[in-house]
Amino acid sequence: MTARQIMTTDDLRRAVVRISHEIVEKHGGTDRLAIVGIQRRGVPLAHRIADAIGQHEGVRPPVGALDITFYRDDLSMVAHQPIVKGTDLPFDVNVLTIVIVDDVLYTGRTARAAMDALMDFGRPSAIRLAVLVDRGHRELPIRADHVGKNVPTSRDEIVRVHVVEFDGVDEVLLDRLPTTEAKA
Amino acid sequence: MTPREDALTQGWHHRHLLDVDMLSASDIDLVMRTAVEMKEILGRPIPKVPTLRGTQVTILFYEASTRTRVSFEVAAKNLSADVVNIAASSSSVTKGESLVDTIRTVEALGADMIVMRHARSGAPYLAAQVFSGHVLNGGDGWHAHPTQALLDLFTLRDRLPGGKVAGRKIVILGDILHSRVARSNIWTLTTMGADLWLCGPPTLLRGLERWAGALPSNRRLTVTTDLRAALRGAHAVMALRLQQERMAGGLLPSLREYSLRYGLTATTLRWARADALVMHPGPMNEGVEIGPEIAAFERSVVTDQVANGVAVRMALLYLIAGSGPIEGGETHG
Amino acid sequence: MAETPRPGERVERFEVEDAWLVDPVNGLEGRGSLRVEGGRIVTVEWAGEPSGGAAAHEPPRTEPRPERPTVIVAPAFVDLHVHLRQPGREDAETVATGLAAAAHGGFGTVCAMANTTPAIDSTGLVEAVQELARASGSPVRLFTYGATSAGRAGQTLSQMGEMADAGAIGFSDDGSPVADASLFRNALAYAGALGRMLVEHPEDPALTKGAEANEGLVATILGLKGWPAAGEESAVARDLAILADVVASYPASAAPHLHLTHLSTAGSIDLVRRAKAAGLPVTCDVTPHHLALHEGWVAGDRRFAWEAADALWVGGRADAAPYDQSTRVNPPLRTPADALALWSGLRDGTVDAIVTDHAPHTQVDKLVEYGDAANGISGIETACSLVLAGVEAGLLPLRDAIRALTLGPRRVLGSVVATGRRGASESLVPGLVEGAAANLVVIDTADGWDVTPETLRSKGKNSPLLGRRLRGRVLATLVDGRFAYAELGGVEAALAAAAG
Ligand SMILES: [Zn+2]
Repeated sequence: MTARQIMTTDDLRRAVVRISHEIVEKHGGTDRLAIVGIQRRGVPLAHRIADAIGQHEGVRPPVGALDITFYRDDLSMVAHQPIVKGTDLPFDVNVLTIVIVDDVLYTGRTARAAMDALMDFGRPSAIRLAVLVDRGHRELPIRADHVGKNVPTSRDEIVRVHVVEFDGVDEVLLDRLPTTEAKA
Repeated sequence: MTPREDALTQGWHHRHLLDVDMLSASDIDLVMRTAVEMKEILGRPIPKVPTLRGTQVTILFYEASTRTRVSFEVAAKNLSADVVNIAASSSSVTKGESLVDTIRTVEALGADMIVMRHARSGAPYLAAQVFSGHVLNGGDGWHAHPTQALLDLFTLRDRLPGGKVAGRKIVILGDILHSRVARSNIWTLTTMGADLWLCGPPTLLRGLERWAGALPSNRRLTVTTDLRAALRGAHAVMALRLQQERMAGGLLPSLREYSLRYGLTATTLRWARADALVMHPGPMNEGVEIGPEIAAFERSVVTDQVANGVAVRMALLYLIAGSGPIEGGETHG
Repeated sequence: MAETPRPGERVERFEVEDAWLVDPVNGLEGRGSLRVEGGRIVTVEWAGEPSGGAAAHEPPRTEPRPERPTVIVAPAFVDLHVHLRQPGREDAETVATGLAAAAHGGFGTVCAMANTTPAIDSTGLVEAVQELARASGSPVRLFTYGATSAGRAGQTLSQMGEMADAGAIGFSDDGSPVADASLFRNALAYAGALGRMLVEHPEDPALTKGAEANEGLVATILGLKGWPAAGEESAVARDLAILADVVASYPASAAPHLHLTHLSTAGSIDLVRRAKAAGLPVTCDVTPHHLALHEGWVAGDRRFAWEAADALWVGGRADAAPYDQSTRVNPPLRTPADALALWSGLRDGTVDAIVTDHAPHTQVDKLVEYGDAANGISGIETACSLVLAGVEAGLLPLRDAIRALTLGPRRVLGSVVATGRRGASESLVPGLVEGAAANLVVIDTADGWDVTPETLRSKGKNSPLLGRRLRGRVLATLVDGRFAYAELGGVEAALAAAAG
């Protein structure tokens, strides 16, 4: 099994910086803006985007973490229940523009679940979606507002996003899905 | 999702929750961690998530119990499950239909999970034998009350200084012999390293010293009729409900004598630590096993127990619902 | 045998060569061959000098067991305690299915308890059950007990004299004790004068009210209502005290004989040991399930008693799910230490017989909450295998085990079976005697058999051994020169395998 590196540490850093500029540009500043990472790897990415915004705008938007486990529509299809990692939204979501951050956009089901979860906390004025990698194969009418890299893939491939916080390295790999392993 | 993270999600392996003696310390930790997340949901403006949408939870109670039944019902509804309530008095169970027939009927009506309360020890095992879904034991005879023990543990971890029960002296006081709450707490608390004491009149402790003696040395369990010795230095005391039937059974002379010798009162509680917590699984007989001044006391965590019960039962419904034999991968995307 | 013989078919020619022969009457065992012709044993040839003789009870063997052939030939077994459920519960067992099960278990003689519906408490019912046995076509010999009290209600004496005349071999309210001590005393004396034993199920109902499992570690952990050892031992003590009183205070011709059945605790064995030493006319039996199984089986532990004695189950996962209703039995499965005490009672002769207490039940009566499940194990077909497992584990010499299944119970029956209306029978002499009617069991100890609902001939599938493979396979049971059970080609195959 050979994994191919499709984003290096530098690629990953540059993508985060670019997304941070796009967010500010699209929102028209940093006022009433919050960044929310989807557990797990969306959370460190959300913090990095917020840090980048803080550097070039002088104001760091608040960051939250969202666990979408309870909103997944596939719980009856998994062999074991995912372990819940926790939701922490240290702000009132009402009237804010919330940028949801995740590592990979694939079927769109996670993004949908994230939107459902956010709605339970209030009524944001807008929800946007930022992802590091868009690998295609959408099953729902969802698209990302900000994409680090578009990667054409086949369904028997897997995109592995590694971040320093969990994996000791920043990189993105494209790997072949072993027959016994779960789709990512 | 990486393989490493994938392994993390393989945490829960129990198709049913029939007894707590099957749960390892890491299983119990997982329940506690998940319950913390459920408690977060309970704090939201709308304490409800769609997790178990389309899942039918049948609450089948052969014994009257408002608090446990309602707690399960609220927990299931907070997870968006469809709840069907069957109380023994209003169904054919009183007309002599066998338990096995009832379970098969409930299954035919679409139940995915059964929460069961029964007066006979072991009845949930029979249900699990014939039901193709999941069975949660809501209390069986004298045997087990797993969700109560887990919510007791959750409450203790929440309220004890340091947030752990390991090394803490915890006392269960009263009718141990007939108590499923005591039996389940014996497992969870000794598994988590508590120094557990059982105290009550000798007639209500029959057989328990033999159990204490047979346990491996890493489980600490002491059985005594001496209330003062039991309470000395205790971090928490759980008083059990005393049933009227015990007098008719010749096990005790009178309620009055019981409350004088084994009642938890402001006076007897002085033998425990100054910050000792007071627990009771409810419903309380104030003035019998627990003095009214204690029941409403600031260190009483009885209302915490009730509130935590919902979070712990949500956690268990969630974990058990995903423990099916269904094969298939993560579709996280 | 090219074809499987029909039950009841006369044994024209049957030969077992180079097997291990056990002859309890003469106290002999050894390598040898045996031939049956025209329904009679024509030759018994010992290869060399058989061992045994006077010492019927020896201490457990310590020197290595001598090499012996794996096929055993012994007299067909005698079971003093079975429940055949007819009349009244033909859905659970009939006389015909019960006798077929007995034959499959190696038993040539069974004694049916009186707790049918209605209870066997009149001559008509005694004769009706005998008639059912004849009509079944099975050569297995059936004896019947009459109830001790009218209707087994524990109030007044049954029609003991008439039933004795009609062939009742003894009296018992088994299923329940005779709780009223005064009635028990009278029954013992009255039956004694009739030359009949009183078979008592010792249980103190006050101590066992609502009880579900042996009061011990397992019941405590599983939250089952305890069934204390004292609930049996206090009844044994009472029964023995009353027996002594009857011996002392009633006419000598009353000659009481008390037989205590299915003793299950170390304390009960001790009480009987002392009573025998004091010369009281008491005999007793134990069951294979109390010898081999133990209270841990209720929790799902599936080890034999001698395997579990040093490492008791103390909670958590076991081999099988807990609360298996097939482990619910009266008296309950006791501790491994109790089981070992029963074996020691067999070794020193305190225990006279092994009986099956075969208690078939329907699934309707068993597949309910543990505490509501009917008491009893369908055990007559697994008895031989369980006893041999204990022999294999070194708990009892083979000769003593066979003795407890043949000569032991035969002696408990005493002369009554030779004087009853049906008359004496050669089949009741448990020896390997040339010229006698063939009355034999052939067992292959090298092979096993799978206990499944299909392999059990009994209607009662209520066995905790279901799904298990047991060593010790009954190949043939011959009674009164007729086939009661025979496995197609089984004897030849086993002998060939042993020779190869
Ligand atoms: Zn009996």
